[in-house]
Amino acid sequence: MMQIGPHALEVLERGPADAPLLLLIHGINPISPSAPFLNDLARTHRVVGPSHPGFGASPLPADFDTMYDLTRLYLGVLDSLPNRKISVIGFSFGGWIAAELAVAGHPKLDRLILVDPVGIKLGGREERDIAHFFNTHPDTLNRLAWRDPTRRPAGSYGVGWQATINDSMSDAEMVALARNWDSLCLFAWTPHMFNPQLKRWLHRIKAPTLVLWGEHDGIVVPEYGRGYAGLIPNAKFAIIADAGHHPELEQPAAFVAQVARFLQS
Amino acid sequence: MELWNHCECPYPFVPAEVLDAADSVRASLPNRYCDPKIVAQLYDEVFEEYQLCDDIGLHIVTNEHHSGINNLWAASPVITGVVARITRKVRILTLGTLITVRPDPVRVATEYATLDVLSRGRLDIGFVKSGATEMTSGDANPMRIREREWEAIDLIEKALTSPDGPFSWEGKFFTHAHVNVWPRPYQSPRPEFWAATSDLPTCAELGRRGYINTLLFGGYDRTRLAFDTYRQARTAAGLPTPGEDRFSYMAFCYVGDTDEEAFRIGQKIPWFLTVSIKSAPQMSKFQPGAVAPDMAPAAWRGASKRPTNLSVESLIAQGQMFCGNPDTVVKQIKTFRERVGGVGRIIMMTRQGLVTHAEAMKSFSLAAKEVLPQLQDLPPVEARALSSVAE
Repeated sequence: MMQIGPHALEVLERGPADAPLLLLIHGINPISPSAPFLNDLARTHRVVGPSHPGFGASPLPADFDTMYDLTRLYLGVLDSLPNRKISVIGFSFGGWIAAELAVAGHPKLDRLILVDPVGIKLGGREERDIAHFFNTHPDTLNRLAWRDPTRRPAGSYGVGWQATINDSMSDAEMVALARNWDSLCLFAWTPHMFNPQLKRWLHRIKAPTLVLWGEHDGIVVPEYGRGYAGLIPNAKFAIIADAGHHPELEQPAAFVAQVARFLQS
Repeated sequence: MELWNHCECPYPFVPAEVLDAADSVRASLPNRYCDPKIVAQLYDEVFEEYQLCDDIGLHIVTNEHHSGINNLWAASPVITGVVARITRKVRILTLGTLITVRPDPVRVATEYATLDVLSRGRLDIGFVKSGATEMTSGDANPMRIREREWEAIDLIEKALTSPDGPFSWEGKFFTHAHVNVWPRPYQSPRPEFWAATSDLPTCAELGRRGYINTLLFGGYDRTRLAFDTYRQARTAAGLPTPGEDRFSYMAFCYVGDTDEEAFRIGQKIPWFLTVSIKSAPQMSKFQPGAVAPDMAPAAWRGASKRPTNLSVESLIAQGQMFCGNPDTVVKQIKTFRERVGGVGRIIMMTRQGLVTHAEAMKSFSLAAKEVLPQLQDLPPVEARALSSVAE
């Protein structure tokens, strides 16, 4: 566990203690210990992945329910880690947190990688930029979120996970998914998955930034990603082929290669 | 004992093949399937039923749901305002504006105060937590709605009972710097408050506050448990024993000349449960907050709980329907009252499903003329030890 002021966070850790630190900010569910990209990242980095309050085994404090809270919490995480430089990867909903974190700014923040992030509004008022996580049929979400839903690694759950509920799952797994889902809703029901103010402040991001996007992401399409990257000074944008909203799960080798190249550049 | 008429003004006119193909008949069914000319006719019919109720002494309940075939009272204050003006005698319960969906409880308080004046003090105010498709229709966060409901109730109560305003409210869910409702309510200090719930901690809080607790289709055991919880919470708080008027129960109801006639027509009512509550999984079992995480495995592993076939007989047996000739219905209600430890207000859901205007008018007439008189001056319910109830 990691303690940030009064907040205790469950933490997934992997890799050599003296390696450069890579902070993973998870999306709608905490990163599974069996996630297929973890060990490869951990060859060169100390990987640290907290669970947000209300997710995994992290307690949810009373009234902790805004992106403001999450952003301040992750500033606290950066404060508390001993390393002088920390690179951050944010996935989906966690990409939104990472973008907020980078806009707020922190002297330790070294490099920023956003993977199919949500968090901003780009289209017109009658265009939905982000498929509605809570109001869309699970079968539709599952189809939009994956290039091929059968490629989902065991133990990892992406957007549309409800469509994959089956009797072979343990009660504990279902309870955890339900708790994560409830907590996500606290932070992201309305405006749905974005902060209306964030777009105008992305120019403040000083960290070198890579925006990665699954070629077939139907939750937030690559065009949104190009727009997102275009608002961050000097950000690089790269497509991961043959993947949907979770390229780190669907194409872990390509994902790790992109990350490694960017962090070494 | 009071009898109340609750009609949700359903719309059973969408073709079955459309309903079968839709994953939800609430929230997401396009309104091209709703013919406003039919709705206008339905409004006329139900308002005529309300006028009959006013003449014969059945009180009236209005409510609201949105964007679906189950309920055309979506703009509840508008409908209740009409009811306030087309009736003169009976009480009107709004059960109610969905306060967990509305962004401004002060506006709701203003509407209620206005309705109380319009009806010259005949308004009762009911609160429901709501949830499911209503959160989708109202774009309201489905999480923490119980806390939101209580804060809204507290703000509405203060707005209705603060003659020396303005006052300021800076709560968790609502802020309002300048609350000063005009007109103030006709009744002093405020209209009666009700809440519809079978959630036991909420029942206990209703008991401590003295609000009327109504249950919808709770059946014998759940209702008994809820009412016992209410009573026990009052005892624990050192408050007086509640009268039967603090307890209400809503059930399907049809009164006919004969049991045979009542059963035949009553069989049209369960449409409410078999057809009109069909909703998509993302708006029901997978909606955030729908079940406590610990209960998710049970909720998710089971098949859909929506019944497809409900008989009048089975509903009567479960205490969810009162149906038959007047004497039969009297007997059913008396039995129910005994088994739940006393109840003073029975809400009849009669104009529901495929029941016609004429059929509803007949049942109301019989209920007022033949049932209601037999439910007056009942002897006290035999005292029984309260069942052990966890707070």
